Amino acid sequence: MNDAAEDLKQALNIAGDAVRREPDGSVRLVGSECADCKARVFPPSDVCCECMSENMAPMAMGPGGTLYSYSVVHAAPKGWTLPFVAAYVDMTEGVRVFAHIVDIDPADLVIDMPVEATIALLGVDEFGQPVESYAFRPAAKGGE
Amino acid sequence: MREVAVIGAGLVPYGKYPEKTVADIAWPAVKQAIEDSGLGKKDIQAAYCGTALGGMMAGQRILKKLGITGLPIINIENACSSSSTAFREAYIAVGAGIYDAVLVMGVEKLTKFGGGTLPLEKEDWEVSHGLVMPALYAMRAKRYMHEYGLTEDQLAMVSVKARRHGKLNPDAQFREETTIEAVKQSRPVADPLHLFHCCPSGDGAAAVVICSAEKARQVTATPIRVAGSEINSGKYMTGYRDMTTPEITVRGAKQLYEESGIGPEDVDLAEVHDAFAIAELLYYEALGFCAKGEAARLLEDGETSVGGRIPVNPSGGLLSKGHPIGATGVAQIVEVVRQLRGLCGARQVEGAKVGLTHCTGGGVSGFDHGVCSIHLFSR
Repeated sequence: MNDAAEDLKQALNIAGDAVRREPDGSVRLVGSECADCKARVFPPSDVCCECMSENMAPMAMGPGGTLYSYSVVHAAPKGWTLPFVAAYVDMTEGVRVFAHIVDIDPADLVIDMPVEATIALLGVDEFGQPVESYAFRPAAKGGE
Repeated sequence: MREVAVIGAGLVPYGKYPEKTVADIAWPAVKQAIEDSGLGKKDIQAAYCGTALGGMMAGQRILKKLGITGLPIINIENACSSSSTAFREAYIAVGAGIYDAVLVMGVEKLTKFGGGTLPLEKEDWEVSHGLVMPALYAMRAKRYMHEYGLTEDQLAMVSVKARRHGKLNPDAQFREETTIEAVKQSRPVADPLHLFHCCPSGDGAAAVVICSAEKARQVTATPIRVAGSEINSGKYMTGYRDMTTPEITVRGAKQLYEESGIGPEDVDLAEVHDAFAIAELLYYEALGFCAKGEAARLLEDGETSVGGRIPVNPSGGLLSKGHPIGATGVAQIVEVVRQLRGLCGARQVEGAKVGLTHCTGGGVSGFDHGVCSIHLFSR
């Protein structure tokens, strides 16, 4: 665990402020909620796509979500670690997020299964530096 | 709007031409379309060129080869719908009476990227996290299989049918038949999609000449009427959305059928955007050729094959004819025009009177597709 954490420190976080690790170790995504019309969006935006208000507040989402669909991807631009599992995850807060799924044999994936956010190494950038971002893994037993 | 007709159509055989420039790929299609139209090049009053990745001012680069210059040339980018968008804009201009005769072309040279998945805009959030077009369609497929019981064999049959049609099209990039087993055993791309479930990377160009229906009657015995024209952007949705229902196509088809007075039951053939095998099945349903969940049955029953009730992609479609993306919209129109004129030989849809073209463009987060353009043609 500590080694993994050390690795992550050296990696480039391509999600920026859209992901954060809580003090208890859990990972949450950070989108935006419109203070005026309550519309929610991920990744964060400084303007509301419903009412055009610029009164947007950060909103933590997850860590729990549901696997809407997925695919084991074998062809992608240079840099991504192949194969990887691409997925759409429906967050309980009502937004859908594209993400990689990690820490599971793809044969064990089931549509609509519960998943939880984590941070994972996903590949390398054009300079060979490891890149990390949020990803999802099977939800820990006992629920989200 | 006054009535508008297609009077000339041109297409170059699709394939890989890495040694040729965009202009060299495209000019033969333009020349063919003009010669087919009965007009001379001096009669062309404006030109619209669709290309997604062909670079700045592709239209000027193509038309200078043929000395068609000194007129308005409008270059249009709208991803895979670039030239269907160009056609739509040309249709509006002629319909509004601004021009009498206009050239529309589409061109793309994908071999310059050296193969692999289509390069997408890296500023897009999902693209920055690894989204590629095959993965997006694969997730649609996976969900559709989950909800409607589509089997891997049925999914492969889309490609088998496409190749069977493509074999009969001298302009198709793939001209060999395949089998369900061969599709399933081809290289995995994004499960459940294998290589043969995916359109090939390639180069090509297509062109048409359109004019007012009144002028068309003076220059050709076989004008093809533009019976309906529709374009839309997708709806941006941040929340949950049903990936088994291509909302933009459903919405566009409904609008087009209402405006034109032509319904799905009137359509004799359709060229639809089968960039990946699952897409064709989703579009059977979205365009109203069958009810939700019945696409596989329609395919298995042979209804969408040439000789069936509603042949889809008699050209071989994107899967077999090929998908040089900016060329696709006009290339679909070329096929429909030739079908309605009875020029398609072994793949001819007998007695075809009404044809539909359907072209989408995607690769932007939060949309089903970024764009979709649907046209109807009749003779």
